[in-house]
Amino acid sequence: MPDTHHAFEHVKAVYLPIAIVVFTLVVGAVLILLVRGAGRDRPGRRSNALRLELANAAVLACVAAFLVVITFRTETPLDRTVAHPALRVRVIAAQWSWRFEYPGGVAVAAVSTWHPRPALVPTGVEIEFAGVSRDVIHGFWVPQLSFMRQLLPGHVSRFDLIFHAPGTYMGTCSVFCGEQHTEMHFALQAVPAVQFERWLASGGSSA
Amino acid sequence: MSTIAVPGAGVQRATLASTDHKRIAASAGVLSLGFFIAGGVLALIMRTQLAADGGVVSQGVYDQLFTMHGSTMIYLFVVPISLAVGLYLVPLQVGAAELVAPRVALAGLVLFACGGITMWSGFLTSGGAAAASWWGFDPLSDASHSPGSGMELWIFGVLLVTVGQLLWAGCVLLTALRRRAPGMTLMRMPVFTWTMVATCLLTLFAFPALIVALALLWAQRHFGGVLVGDLGAVDYQQLFWFYGHPVVYVMFFPFVGMVGEVLATFSSKRFFGYSAFIVAVLAFSGLSMTVWAHHMFTIGQVTNKYFALTSTALVVPAGIEYFDFLATVWRGRLRFTCAFLFAIAFVLQFLVGGLTGVILASPPLNYDLNMSYFIVGHFHYTIFAGSAFGLFAGVYYWFGKVTGALLREGLGKLHLGLMVLGTNMTFFPMFILGAQGMTRRIAAYPPSMGWQGLNELETAGAFLIALSVLVFLINVVVSLRRRRPAGDDPWQGHTLEWATSSPPPRYNFAALPAIRSYAPLLDLRESREAVAS
Repeated sequence: MPDTHHAFEHVKAVYLPIAIVVFTLVVGAVLILLVRGAGRDRPGRRSNALRLELANAAVLACVAAFLVVITFRTETPLDRTVAHPALRVRVIAAQWSWRFEYPGGVAVAAVSTWHPRPALVPTGVEIEFAGVSRDVIHGFWVPQLSFMRQLLPGHVSRFDLIFHAPGTYMGTCSVFCGEQHTEMHFALQAVPAVQFERWLASGGSSA
Repeated sequence: MSTIAVPGAGVQRATLASTDHKRIAASAGVLSLGFFIAGGVLALIMRTQLAADGGVVSQGVYDQLFTMHGSTMIYLFVVPISLAVGLYLVPLQVGAAELVAPRVALAGLVLFACGGITMWSGFLTSGGAAAASWWGFDPLSDASHSPGSGMELWIFGVLLVTVGQLLWAGCVLLTALRRRAPGMTLMRMPVFTWTMVATCLLTLFAFPALIVALALLWAQRHFGGVLVGDLGAVDYQQLFWFYGHPVVYVMFFPFVGMVGEVLATFSSKRFFGYSAFIVAVLAFSGLSMTVWAHHMFTIGQVTNKYFALTSTALVVPAGIEYFDFLATVWRGRLRFTCAFLFAIAFVLQFLVGGLTGVILASPPLNYDLNMSYFIVGHFHYTIFAGSAFGLFAGVYYWFGKVTGALLREGLGKLHLGLMVLGTNMTFFPMFILGAQGMTRRIAAYPPSMGWQGLNELETAGAFLIALSVLVFLINVVVSLRRRRPAGDDPWQGHTLEWATSSPPPRYNFAALPAIRSYAPLLDLRESREAVAS
């Protein structure tokens, strides 16, 4: 189940503390070295320590390996698409608009606006998005889902997303695409499946 | 063209056409700094726009501003100044009288100047300058989406400077390999020279890919049918990033070398872990040729895990370099000069760029943060908070060697303080804004997003950086007008450039000391002390 935001938080919970600890250690070490070196009369003569260098490299390699394992384990389900998603949505990006096409001919468009009319999606099920661009490269980014995918002209990119919580998920074009890139936004509103089915059956009018 | 200038004769007339590597390098350095200031002015306009609710320039102009800001800073400032410092110092550090093929290096200078002017002349055309970002990604950069001559001038400008940079890299590399003084074995080359060797190797391997990408882009614009098929856009990115990642290390290694020299000199100690450091720099270079597609994680068309693995593995050579930096300062007799303090600022601030780089190398994190302000913060911490501070460490260190006059330390410390404050005010909030969903390259945002406060803070920081650069320029003027002579060796340096006059004569050395290690002048001082005691 590709809960993209959960995956992001999971990896972040490992990476960010390590980064903060490393930064703190180096800053602390530098401060100590500066304070102790300020009043020294004669400098030390030692200029290499092969064993320490090797130990340092080994620790770094272990940390790198640990990070890579966490990353690989989390990424594998993110990159997978299921064979039978509950819903397939086509996403068409163009300068400078978004269009979401549903089965049965329902479509929602958002043209150059920070306040787009939301396209509905059902909560809690896997939805396959098939995205393509009509002109230049665009980026389908939903910050609340911690997920983006570049949409290419003439090539369909497929990815699965799940909206666990109901609510409005704002989306934006993340790849610079020309003059109105700033304005290129979309909104996805996650609603319970029943409400979604009603919306779809009504031709996308009753939200 | 006066190819063999008699020392002291016709100095002014010969400056621009001189084949003295020091003159070529000085011209290239001054020109790069000019482009740094020009690119900085563009950044100030952008920062004003983002603090002032998008009311300063139109979106189209904003697109030109960030395109030309990025292009200027990378193609016309950091890369050329990296190589320019190498042009100046490598012959001196290896005890050579001259650069290999100085006329070729002079041609590189001409290409650099012409390319920069070509790129910037886009502002004079009716459609304005290029506006397809410093990547020039197809299809946004093709004839239908970026019509007009601004884009054409950008392509030719980048082509010219890149060819010039290739020529410089060849000259510097061959000088280190072929013109070393007797006794200067490869494993006695100074740390900075080794980082330049790595830099030149990367330049020679990676920059041709950019030339090919630009040529294809030009052909695509004029004839079409080049970057086609359903993944034609990805092909351009592969070529571009095959250049675009190694160039990051071209903009990093020389400053690592400068910082290494500065830390060693002002710790009054031999550089620590020399052999491990050289191995790490070479491993770093090799590895950095294998990570380019981490810029393409969000396309879904590359093997993300392979590139995540190689990119994360970079922490090993980077950590070895950090170990050697800290161990050099360990037990040192420290002198807190401007050069030393800029080097310490480099070490601490670059670390923020490096650690956020590890975060971005993980696809599950990259899927969110790529293309957001987080990434803008990340690379500014590497290139500005890192490399630019390393550059200033080098400037305060070698200014006396190049001009014969020392920079003022008091003004230098004011420069440093303002620049540290401004840098962190400008770039740290970007991590927060990126995590909050602010996309890069947008010209405005509604107040309802809640981004105004941090953007105002960033803009204030940007003007502090500008003020710090102004203090630096004043320092240069004051120091050149009321000269405090540097003498041959003002800092008790370790490497050969300090064994000659400041500035060095046309053929660099009247005589060379014996070279028995990578710190020949330190050897000399130590043996004198041993005799004296």
